[in-house]
Amino acid sequence: MLSEGILLKKSLVLNSIQCHYIPQKRCYAATRRSEALTEHLTGLAPSSAALLPTQNVQVSKLPSGLVVASLENNSPLSRVGVFVKAGCRYETVENQGVSHVLRLAANLTTKGASAFKICRGVEALGGSLSVTSSRETTVYTADCLRDHLDLLFEFLVDVTTAQDFRPWEVDDLTSRVKIDKALAQQCPQIGVIEKLHEAAYKNALSNSLYCPDYMVGRVSATQLQSFVEDHFTTGRMALVGLGVQHSVLRQMAEGLLSVHSGAGAPVAKAVYRGGELRVQNNDDLVHALITSEGGVTGSADANTFSVLQRILGAGPHVKRGSNITSKLSQGIAKATTQPFDATAFNASYSDSGLFGVYTIAQADSAGDVIKAAIAQVRGVAEGHISEADISRAKNQVKSEYLMSIESSEGLMEEIGAQALTTAAYQLPDAVLQAIDAVTQDDVVKAAKQFVDGKKTMAAIGHLMNTPFVDEV
Amino acid sequence: MMSTVARSGALVPYLHSTKHAVKSLLTPGVKDLAPAAAPGGIRLAHTDIKIPDFTDYRRPEVTDPDKSSQESSDARRSFSYLFTGATTVVGVYAAKTVVTQFVSSMSATADVLALSQIEIKLSDIPEGKNMTFKWRGKPLFVRHRTEKEIAIEEGVNVSDLRDPQHDKDRAINPNWIIVLGVCTHLGCVPISNAGDFGGYYCPCHGSHYDASGRIRKGPAPLNLEVPHYVFSDEGTVLDDHKIIVELLLLLRTELHDDLGQRFELSAGQPAAQQASNSTAYRGRGFE
Repeated sequence: MLSEGILLKKSLVLNSIQCHYIPQKRCYAATRRSEALTEHLTGLAPSSAALLPTQNVQVSKLPSGLVVASLENNSPLSRVGVFVKAGCRYETVENQGVSHVLRLAANLTTKGASAFKICRGVEALGGSLSVTSSRETTVYTADCLRDHLDLLFEFLVDVTTAQDFRPWEVDDLTSRVKIDKALAQQCPQIGVIEKLHEAAYKNALSNSLYCPDYMVGRVSATQLQSFVEDHFTTGRMALVGLGVQHSVLRQMAEGLLSVHSGAGAPVAKAVYRGGELRVQNNDDLVHALITSEGGVTGSADANTFSVLQRILGAGPHVKRGSNITSKLSQGIAKATTQPFDATAFNASYSDSGLFGVYTIAQADSAGDVIKAAIAQVRGVAEGHISEADISRAKNQVKSEYLMSIESSEGLMEEIGAQALTTAAYQLPDAVLQAIDAVTQDDVVKAAKQFVDGKKTMAAIGHLMNTPFVDEV
Repeated sequence: MMSTVARSGALVPYLHSTKHAVKSLLTPGVKDLAPAAAPGGIRLAHTDIKIPDFTDYRRPEVTDPDKSSQESSDARRSFSYLFTGATTVVGVYAAKTVVTQFVSSMSATADVLALSQIEIKLSDIPEGKNMTFKWRGKPLFVRHRTEKEIAIEEGVNVSDLRDPQHDKDRAINPNWIIVLGVCTHLGCVPISNAGDFGGYYCPCHGSHYDASGRIRKGPAPLNLEVPHYVFSDEGTVLDDHKIIVELLLLLRTELHDDLGQRFELSAGQPAAQQASNSTAYRGRGFE
């Protein structure tokens, strides 16, 4: 019995039950070779339950300006997200770092519930509550079982609209800010990307996701409160729900989220300037990121830059492979034998974008690596790409997009991003068609835009062999 | 339009930062880079809450988790109760002592008590003489009686007296009569060695007292009051509220004769023994 148990590890549960009753029959996976997985298992009564109909994403806009989007995916879990246009780009010179502290203040006492009640209440429901913020948006996400959504939604509304920001609780956040910054410092990619944005823009997008050193411990509760009042308004928010009826979600939104209504503070346009920031330290690896202005979110340029990114190489598709499909990797491999990594960097924001090359190289071969990478992009700009490259890149973009919206987190992020900017949801088919519409000329033009545009560079490491941006 | 995920590929996690306020344990995958950065409420009871090891302080009978603690429960319980009981008794006694000390501190102080007693050197008083001392604001008569006076007083018929009291009830040592010099009629001070009975005479209203201080004639109703007094050795102070009558070496022989009649000591006993015998002679004052 025990040996059979070990053999049964990979087989179906049904087979194992059969083996229990007929101990002399050996259960190998080979015994099922005749049964294809597309055929029903023999001996099973077909399920008589009616299949629930698949539904589409429904988006509606309330009169207050709040966009409500929901998808009933018949899942036992419900997931609700509040998307707010309150990222770190909306910080002013006086309140730098307020979005970082706001991110950490998600579990503080609110007018409706104390910190302990929020934590205990959400835990009692078996749910989770988290906040993600990027440069443009802050997303408060909560999920739990479908039956308990109304209770969880109360907590979510408390956290997003009824914050109290008690001064002593805000002061306690200082140590968490420091821990956060220390952990971010451990990751050189974060450092390089923050430095890049600081160098690339004059305002708005140059703000860092993390609180600057001089503001640690100085972000006050009043600053948090005024930031929330200015930016957490219904005109800048979207409520997205997965696993919930649209009418229910709309009702919740109408009743509870209409606290601050209006359009909120005016948005400053990000001005690209193109600069350079180098951080010299003792690291053996040099992380260097060179970009120039890229495509704005939602435009055709953004799709073009995504395709270009995949042509140049955006991360390995086969683990521990030689990254054959990446032009950057192939080009740099000819320039140096030392270990390196290179990927194309592409970020799009609502009024600007960044496209470029991110390289990680050994300190003494950094110059070769960077120059080889830029040379590859120049090659694309001169038209040295084939149709096969473009179709492969398009397939990669399409498949990555579709795979990203397979999970509920990715799907919610996608619906939220679309609802927040356009108050509508494009079906994946439309997105795929837009990607297919990218032509070779577009790609070449995009590469030329990178080569000709004013470049920004950020580099961290032992920079003795790293060229400056005007030497590249 | 596409989300940030599809756009930036591998560098997506670095373009935004996630903080979990409350993390459900149902979702295994964590998307943020630093899950350990102190979120609002993740505590796992089996790893986070550290209970210190108390083995050093536990009873050995109960440290084994596989053994039932019922067998040792009687012994443990009785030990605990015994210890508690004993401590309680000691505690109560200590409390009682403390309380008594505090409460008795409210009684008369030593200097007041000192005023209340007087030490008299009997050697200063010759036979037949009466000495007056001031004690508690009142005159105190100490009379060294002669043999004749003693015999007379002891021979008086008690039933004839207004306030019947035998002399031996009024004097511990018949040689010495110690009375308060306050007439029991209206409080004047009697004159000593005066009157018809060889004792005291009160000039105010004509009360005559005898050598034992008993009223014989006159308007006084009661005998002169005999206070509490005790004969003591040199310097030994006995109880409060008593007259301590001190004996010196010079008078020892006189008393020795006296005591010898009482305790029938043989002659030739060492002086120390005699002294100890005299200290052994303690009478009780009038209660």
